[in-house]
Amino acid sequence: MQAISLPQVNGYGYYEIRLESIGGLGANLSGKILGEVSLRLGLNCSSFSSYGSEKRGSPVKAFVRYAAPETPIRVNSPVEMPHLLGLFHERLAGKLPVMAGATEATTVVVNSAQEPDAVREMLRMHAGTLVCVDAQAIAAQAKTRVNMVMLGALAKASGFIPQDALEHAVSETLGVKYPQALQGNLDGIRQGYEAAAGRKLEPDGRFPLVPYAEPQTHWGWKNAPIGGVVPVYGSTVKNDLTASREGYIPVFKRETCIHCGMCDITCPDMVFQFARGEYKGKPRMMNQGPDYHHCKGCLRCCKICPTDALTTGNEREHDIWANHVRNRDLIVKQMQFEDAGTNSYMESESATVNELY
Amino acid sequence: MQAQKTIFESGNELAAYAAKQINYHIMGYFPITPSTQIAEHLDYLKAEGRHDVELIPADGEHGAAGICYGGALGGGRVFNATSANGLLYALEQLPVQSGTRAPMVLNIACRTVSGPLSIKGDHSDIMYTLNAGWIILFAKDPQAVYDMNIMALKIAERVKLPVIVAFDGFFTSHQKRRTQVFERDSDVQSFLGSYKPAFSALDCESSVTIGAYMNEPDLLNNKYQLHLAMEESRNVIPEVFAEYESLTGRAYAVTTCSYTEDAEVVLVILGSSYDTAMVSADKLRAEGRKVGVVTLGALRPFPAANLAACLKNAKAVIVADRQDSYGAGGGNLSLEIRAALQDAGSCTPVLSRVYGLSGRDFYVEDAAAMFEEGFKFLGASTVRRFDYFGTYEGNGEANTRQFFAPITEEISRPGITSAAVNASTGKMEVTGGTLTEISAMPKRIAPGHGACPGCGIPVNVNLLLKAIEGNVVLLFHTGCGMVVTTPYPTTSFRVPYVHNLFQSGAATLSGLVEVFHQRQKRGEIPSGDITFVMVSGDGGMDIGMGPSIGTALRNHCLIMFEYDNGGYMNTGYQLSYATPMGARSSTSHVGTAQSGKAGFHKDTPQIMAGTNIPYIATVSEHNPVDFIRKAAKAGEYSRRHGTAYVKALSACPLNWGDVPANEAAVIEASVNCCYHPLYEIEHGVTTLTYNPEDRGKKIPVSQWFEMMGRTRHLTKPGHADMLEQIQTEVDRRWARLKARHSCEVL
Repeated sequence: MQAISLPQVNGYGYYEIRLESIGGLGANLSGKILGEVSLRLGLNCSSFSSYGSEKRGSPVKAFVRYAAPETPIRVNSPVEMPHLLGLFHERLAGKLPVMAGATEATTVVVNSAQEPDAVREMLRMHAGTLVCVDAQAIAAQAKTRVNMVMLGALAKASGFIPQDALEHAVSETLGVKYPQALQGNLDGIRQGYEAAAGRKLEPDGRFPLVPYAEPQTHWGWKNAPIGGVVPVYGSTVKNDLTASREGYIPVFKRETCIHCGMCDITCPDMVFQFARGEYKGKPRMMNQGPDYHHCKGCLRCCKICPTDALTTGNEREHDIWANHVRNRDLIVKQMQFEDAGTNSYMESESATVNELY
Repeated sequence: MQAQKTIFESGNELAAYAAKQINYHIMGYFPITPSTQIAEHLDYLKAEGRHDVELIPADGEHGAAGICYGGALGGGRVFNATSANGLLYALEQLPVQSGTRAPMVLNIACRTVSGPLSIKGDHSDIMYTLNAGWIILFAKDPQAVYDMNIMALKIAERVKLPVIVAFDGFFTSHQKRRTQVFERDSDVQSFLGSYKPAFSALDCESSVTIGAYMNEPDLLNNKYQLHLAMEESRNVIPEVFAEYESLTGRAYAVTTCSYTEDAEVVLVILGSSYDTAMVSADKLRAEGRKVGVVTLGALRPFPAANLAACLKNAKAVIVADRQDSYGAGGGNLSLEIRAALQDAGSCTPVLSRVYGLSGRDFYVEDAAAMFEEGFKFLGASTVRRFDYFGTYEGNGEANTRQFFAPITEEISRPGITSAAVNASTGKMEVTGGTLTEISAMPKRIAPGHGACPGCGIPVNVNLLLKAIEGNVVLLFHTGCGMVVTTPYPTTSFRVPYVHNLFQSGAATLSGLVEVFHQRQKRGEIPSGDITFVMVSGDGGMDIGMGPSIGTALRNHCLIMFEYDNGGYMNTGYQLSYATPMGARSSTSHVGTAQSGKAGFHKDTPQIMAGTNIPYIATVSEHNPVDFIRKAAKAGEYSRRHGTAYVKALSACPLNWGDVPANEAAVIEASVNCCYHPLYEIEHGVTTLTYNPEDRGKKIPVSQWFEMMGRTRHLTKPGHADMLEQIQTEVDRRWARLKARHSCEVL
């Protein structure tokens, strides 16, 4: 087979891709399919992911390295300076260093409904080529998932992955396992491919290049308590799990709340803040409202609420922080929240057998 | 040369693919990250009818090793895979298998050994097997995993020794690569030939005894035989490698040496890091630096002579150890290389660098830094011979500022719920527990944990703890509940908390309880109560069943709380014995040749009933009044009478394949179909606390199955027989329970 020639390679001879995502959006699968495509392009390839989590709402990374067929792939560490960077969720552009290692030579494909100028601001993008695709909207319309649309856009943005090779790879992998979803998937890829138009951004001095760095915690061998002991109790409270929500939130209407306490019982995330008060002339534990930092949007509370005090709302349409109640037990006045996702040590490759595909 | 084809697969998938082509008789296994995918992929291929390997999900790695041993003694070809503490749990069986000369193949996707618990890769597990009498091959990439899996069986059968194929967890086990495989399974099988065991426990005409009791001097002679077999393998391994090369064109060696002829500084490094180190060596060579790299394709037998020959011209050797033999001044690789060099009469200095523990990534620059250490050592003797590579001190004082005030005994006792034995009736009674008041209980678990949206675990644990006033100490088994609450350096727990592995969680809490009583007796800690709660789920009551029964039989004053989510969810939903029959899981695929999980769901409360502990209860989040009442009773029984066991069916939206918001309704359906009936057993007397028949709410199991992706297929045509079997079994258990409810002595 005549191998496709790569438009650019790094010093080791690799063309490198990094996908930054949130578990549940299918970035790992996208990485695998980009790997499969290599069989059709005649390229050497490796594909792997950030090991550790593929739970819903948790930050994940996937990596792909392509090389000429005769070039062995010998580097097994994460992609530091990607030629192609895919951001599957806007919300990733918070405190997580998703743009690390992106240079002028990098093409960044972002799932966003916003204009490139706004996206650049949000990402604090130094320079490079920016491709904005509203994968969410396209996926909903084509009855597929975000990752298929992103795959199409990434293929186009790469400049060397032909649409038919990608469609072929999807047909022969996903298509075999989930034939009923194939048409939607192929539509998603096609529309992603068509929608991907890049804009070249020059460095304008506003956003510095963010170098790639290994993550480190503040605790090292000299100051960490021995034995891995954690002496600060309840410290996950500083995690902000906003990124775990998939667009929906419980909206609290205090006027119709009967303070039955069922939301507190069904909430896995200890979101509702109750305080002593008086209801209908009697002392009662009263629902003050939700602490949205820890709400993952499971909507169990909306389902269980016997009145309409808790209803499902679109997060974009509500000013949740106007309704927000701070965790009542905190003794610290101010707290620096850290963006976090759900986490576990579930194997990233394990088939979550009930995922849509 | 035989026909090969290219596929794009991970190391784990390739180990499974080799097993499929070999068509082993059985695979006994127990899922543990990162090796789990091997059984998963083999099960997937089985469901598609692509091989005939019998997959046997064991009750733990120790059981898996036993299953494999039995299979091998019957002359079967057997296969297994494990990692980390799973390997250590099985370790006791490894010398049995080698000492009685049972050939088999065990894949080790190498992972760091707990604790503290981490799932990432290093070599701290594999180095425990050096003395087990097994041949150990080490594969550096997915291609080698595949090839070595085929060669390993041939080597094993020729020298009558079991063989481990080790490779880096995640880096190799999970990385997908273009790989060459035999196009035809028959070519793999003819390479291996047929296997005729020397002895078989299934040969009833010439009966043999395997495992006779042995003393000195026989044992010494037996071990000498093992030693001779290991020595014989020094010749057999290269022969098998050569034969394999002639069929595939792929060459293997027990040592691979690059640039060692004139290298001044040679780095010895195992596994996936070798290739990365080679990238660095190529760069440095281009700059005129004389560096070399060596890796090993086998750890047992240790290729000491080959290594000494490779290293004879080096001025300094750096060994990159991905584990430490604490106190020995190096990892085991270092120690063995030093010994090998001394045997060869070499005085070449050997530097040891412990690196990459728990999957810490190894970059090209890291290899360069290691070479640099070697050159520095040659220039000045101030460079330490032994050191860790990549550690850091941390920033100043550890920040231990608290976010919450402590939950004191007083705060944790708002007087909402209490349980006590009524002196006149002799029965345990609960007062309070009003739902509208219960939110006044302090939350022993803080928000911000990482459970999936809609997860049932925090819901159930919170409900249990809401009913228990006073001081609480928690112990969690490994599982989702533990992983999502304690991502270092943070924790969700606001009360004392301990984690231990499934096999010893109940025992650990037993010890903690008894020291509490002892220290209180000796006046070392103040009087007063603590309620001790063990929390288990994710199959923890499979592998942890024995010690949990032991704890119950000793009747320690503690609660065992099981959140039964019906599978090993934290490792990607492999089946547990509690998984519903027919349910889809990643080790019970549904396909043309297989219909989900075989066998009925485990009835843990009834198993615990056999221990005759004072209190057993089943609870459900959809019935919080009943839940709180039982939790309060469990607390009081555990403080005054002994062990209490409480089980909740706990929703897992991710793996059950249902909508997070609906979980309370899904759990309610499980109760109404009598799959998870609500009852309690107090001092042997069974009481149903909720009877869906009385309320006209009884539904067939299919209605519950319909609500979940993992079981929905059972309600479709083609599965009617299985559905009927399940319904019959659920009805039988329900009828028995009603009989027990109606008669105190049952």
